Amino acid sequence: MFKPTPALIPLQNLLAVLGWLLVLPVTAADMTPERRAFFETKIRPVLVKQCYECHAVGAKKIGGKLLLDSPGELVGGGESGPAMLPGRPDESLIIQALRYEGPEMPPKHRLPESVVNDFVTWVKMGAPDPRANQPKSARKEPATDKASLWSFQPVTNPKPPTVRTKDWTRDPLDVFVLARIESAGLAPAKDAAPATLIRRLHFDLIGLPPTAAEVQEFVRACSGGKRASAIAQLVDRLLTSPHFGERWGRHWLDVARYGESNGNDGLSRNASFPHAWRFRDYVIQSFNDDVPYDRFVTEQIAGDLLPTETPAQRDRLLVATGFLALGCKPAKAMNDNFDMDVVADQIAVVGSGIMGLSVGCARCHDHKHDPIPARDYYALAGIFKSTETLWGAGGYEKLTAPETPLHELKAAPKVEPASEKLNPVRASKKAPPKPAFPYPPGAPLAMGVREAKTVGDCKLNIEGESKKLGPSIPRGFLTACVTTGEPVAVDAQQSGRLQLAQWLVRGDHPQTARVMANRVWQHLMDRGLVRTPDDFGVYGDRPSHPELLDHLATRFVADGWSVKRLIRSIVLSRTYQLDSDSDARTRAADPDNTLLARHNRRRLDAEVLRDAMLVASGGLDPSPGKGSLIQHDDVLINLMGDLHQTSTHRSVYLLHLRNSMPVELTAFNLPDGTTVTGKRDETTLPTQALYLMNSPFLVTESKRLAATLLKTSESESARIRSAFLRTLTREPSRSEAQQASGFLRRAESGLMQSAPDSETRQHTVWAAFCQALLASNELRYLD
Amino acid sequence: MHPPSLSRRELLRLTSCGFGYLAMAGLAGAAGADLTPRPPKLTARAKRVIFLCMSGGPAQLDTFEYKPQVGSKPHPGSVTEFKQRGQSGAWVSELMPHTARHADKLCVLNAMYCDTGNHAQSFLQLHTGDRLRPCPSLGSWVTYGLGSENYNLPGFISLNTAKPSVYASACLPPIFEGTPIGTNGEDMTKATISNISGEHLPAEVKRQQLDFIQAMNKGHLAQHDDPRLEGVIQTMELGFRMQSAAPELLDLSRESKATLERYCVGKSYDVGTCKPSDFGRQCLLARRFAEAGVRFIEVNHGSWDQHTDHRRDLAANCQATDAPVAALLDDLNLRGLLEDTLVVWGGEFGRPGLTPGDGKDQTGHSHRAFTFWLAGGGVKAGYTHGRTNDTGAECVAGKVHFRDLHATILHLLGLDHERLAFTQGGRSIRLTGVQGGSVVKEILA
Repeated sequence: MFKPTPALIPLQNLLAVLGWLLVLPVTAADMTPERRAFFETKIRPVLVKQCYECHAVGAKKIGGKLLLDSPGELVGGGESGPAMLPGRPDESLIIQALRYEGPEMPPKHRLPESVVNDFVTWVKMGAPDPRANQPKSARKEPATDKASLWSFQPVTNPKPPTVRTKDWTRDPLDVFVLARIESAGLAPAKDAAPATLIRRLHFDLIGLPPTAAEVQEFVRACSGGKRASAIAQLVDRLLTSPHFGERWGRHWLDVARYGESNGNDGLSRNASFPHAWRFRDYVIQSFNDDVPYDRFVTEQIAGDLLPTETPAQRDRLLVATGFLALGCKPAKAMNDNFDMDVVADQIAVVGSGIMGLSVGCARCHDHKHDPIPARDYYALAGIFKSTETLWGAGGYEKLTAPETPLHELKAAPKVEPASEKLNPVRASKKAPPKPAFPYPPGAPLAMGVREAKTVGDCKLNIEGESKKLGPSIPRGFLTACVTTGEPVAVDAQQSGRLQLAQWLVRGDHPQTARVMANRVWQHLMDRGLVRTPDDFGVYGDRPSHPELLDHLATRFVADGWSVKRLIRSIVLSRTYQLDSDSDARTRAADPDNTLLARHNRRRLDAEVLRDAMLVASGGLDPSPGKGSLIQHDDVLINLMGDLHQTSTHRSVYLLHLRNSMPVELTAFNLPDGTTVTGKRDETTLPTQALYLMNSPFLVTESKRLAATLLKTSESESARIRSAFLRTLTREPSRSEAQQASGFLRRAESGLMQSAPDSETRQHTVWAAFCQALLASNELRYLD
Repeated sequence: MHPPSLSRRELLRLTSCGFGYLAMAGLAGAAGADLTPRPPKLTARAKRVIFLCMSGGPAQLDTFEYKPQVGSKPHPGSVTEFKQRGQSGAWVSELMPHTARHADKLCVLNAMYCDTGNHAQSFLQLHTGDRLRPCPSLGSWVTYGLGSENYNLPGFISLNTAKPSVYASACLPPIFEGTPIGTNGEDMTKATISNISGEHLPAEVKRQQLDFIQAMNKGHLAQHDDPRLEGVIQTMELGFRMQSAAPELLDLSRESKATLERYCVGKSYDVGTCKPSDFGRQCLLARRFAEAGVRFIEVNHGSWDQHTDHRRDLAANCQATDAPVAALLDDLNLRGLLEDTLVVWGGEFGRPGLTPGDGKDQTGHSHRAFTFWLAGGGVKAGYTHGRTNDTGAECVAGKVHFRDLHATILHLLGLDHERLAFTQGGRSIRLTGVQGGSVVKEILA
């Protein structure tokens, strides 16, 4: 009998070979009269009576997509894999099911021992089966039309179409956009004004507003036919700013479902992740260093397996693998599936985050609409089951998660915890727990992954239950993602994470480059070319400009997967630099702006809004926030009360506890950090108005700005002007100045009673005025 | 006047002459543009809706649809004990002793069905009519059609809600978006509207401040014709007005001890899939919002998705919701509110039955047949509509799709699902979509 040795045999070939070898012995088994008689008397009647109700062509619902009325189907198998391996009864699913080991079939009652033994004998014989193969397969063939499976087709490098207004375009990508606008008989909007553009570029590239002086300087630089060079200079300056990584790193943290605690484990426990912040810093630094995206992905999936030269390099790569360890886990208590839940989170973040495919659906059954069979899921699961995930102490609560060790860093400095008096968390702690993996206080540690002590394939979990085991599935990748080059195979001696990463970042992987190019486009243009950035599957959106998407993906790979170069190309294009208002005809014809004939107006997201307000008030500390408020605390945060503290650092450095996010950010659709979130929701709610009117953050920053105005300017008009420049980076119009002045007068008299002291009243009046500017739509929306 | 189909441009034209409190008088006739209450054209039997959303797929065969064993072979059916109740003799499970007291008020729909057995898609379809694309939520449609009876509160409030897509106004103006109070997984005992008050300025100055903000915003809008910017202007006004009404409504401290006990306020069950939701507090808040004139109130409890440990988790879910629902029905009835309040109970689908005595305690999803019940607001009381086969797996008669349910709810509110529309990009968008739905006439009282 053929026995496969999966090691280093390319997976796709292996499956094909297996298919052939296994089908042949059955259908071509020497059909002696004795064997035929055995089948007809012992096997067929049982199949007909006990199994066909659910497992035959014509059954109401085919159980597990498995047919037993056809020899080919028996070995070909259903959702749970081959039902039978001829000659190997113990490994055959059908025997396991009849024995009620794992799946239990027939479901209503166990067949007598003697019948089961007949089946064992039959399988041992090689399962001679005289029945003709039924032509019809119960396994729903995945939808094969090219349109719905577009993302599985190889990336092409389409030739730019021809356009009429050739001199309009500035970058090849403009040609793809213009061709569509022209063919709809429309025209693109005018170019955005320089003052609009600098604000757009600042927020998009570094997430901070320009100062009024920078705006004026840029407007000047753009005059006299020097617009293009002024823009290029500005873009290059912003791309090298250390704030770039804080903005773009935050986008990736949304994808990486970043959080500094586990989040509700289903039993209301929420264990802290005191070392998660190192991953945050790694991501920010990687975007600042423009680590090529293929390398960036590889580091996060298999950084621990990459060669290093210095301890600092080693630290960095170990921290990168935090990507796989940061997930939100359900409680361990009474949960047989806990290990597989950890694996599911890892498959989800790699699937949706990097490939734009919801592989997770295949945990319990073949994917309902995407071509991802359960077998592929368990091929990936084997890789992560062969990996040890290091999340740390789990709040020293065994019921939520068992303690694990952590990566010990070599070059990172040791930071002694502050005294217990200064640290509310430590002060409130009851008895100090006895860690299973003790580390010296303040030792530099990181969450992450490493190879498990034993590596091996994973058995298919029937219906996603780790107690109902199907056949073992050789480790591998997604069979539907066809790559053209030399296949990558899993090394039998390793988990396969390194090979998975290598497979994902192959230039010919159909999804990886497209998904990231689309993410970058979305962050700059408000909407992706595919509007469901985490779902490139059948239920996801189709690309509005498929050729443009492929053009960008091709360029991205050709440019060495440089995110900065991709961003630079897009922001220097004419398309990006369009005004966000267009003529009425274009708007009426394309209300959704699918054709990209104008720029999309956007609301500042939660972090950028807070940062912009801090810049306006003068309250921002632009230096990177250090570490985390909970970096020494392995606790259950649900028992700790409010752990947040006021901070003047950028929002990306605030404490991102799952189920307890910073209140300065939650009003504006901050993701909850439990799932891949490539596109944030955008709601418009009265509760946001209430945040702007009453939140302590707005009140504090308004007071701060008012104090500055009162200190630095003498006259009312100078103060009004200064307030406009600081918040909206422009001068007030005459009527605005009058409205402001009118408000100040009315507020002054309105406060006579509650603030009889004139100095207090002055501060309150001006703070109310500053708050109004901070809350205005002009500050909160980006053209 | 029936709410006409308004395009964004028309809306803009209608409203750009002035906003919010200043322009309210001028807008009162312009149905669909804001929260001003507007009478429906059809005769309305209900003025408001309380939707008791049981997420996860409640097991109908062990709650409200009795399927005893018939014939000699054991088959899937009810595994909990049922009793006939009230005058109507409706069968209600012993797991729902309190709701059972109200059996004569319920209109049970046993042959509900929908398009998919996937939670996310079906949950979306239940709320918006569509499984895949962002579409306005039922509550948004209702508020769009009727406005709000309380000028100082949102027309649509969703308690313990899921993700924004289920309370989104989508293409409808943002003023019709649901206002969430507490989201799944949050501690519902404290869930409130954040920043509902602030002491930093006296109310008079706050109003002056908002006038200045709105003047700035209108100047900005004049330069950029964008319905979203206009939506912000409207929600700023609503937010401002909420400061006067909401704090008192959210404050349960003046409710008597007996009331709090009847509703089981503060009690939560954390058993298997049954998650703490302080459902009693939600129901009491729902009553208070209904009294205050909120048009559409959704309360949530979950998850009823008991794949394993069916009996244990189902019992917990019933225990967590039964008494609060009964207390809500009692109070609505006592106050005469049940007359014109439509109460809707159900989830995104149901569950197939278990077979008694087979030792199993697991169920899956059933979207081909499941149960909803309605009460009050113009539906027949003590009435059962729709029939399924002996196992409860297939509808046999009186099938009701989500689209039919939506059409019926709108009908009871005096709205015609075929005419309540919004025009976007030349397309007329309706809750029941291109496939349409039918009003279930048989259940109208």
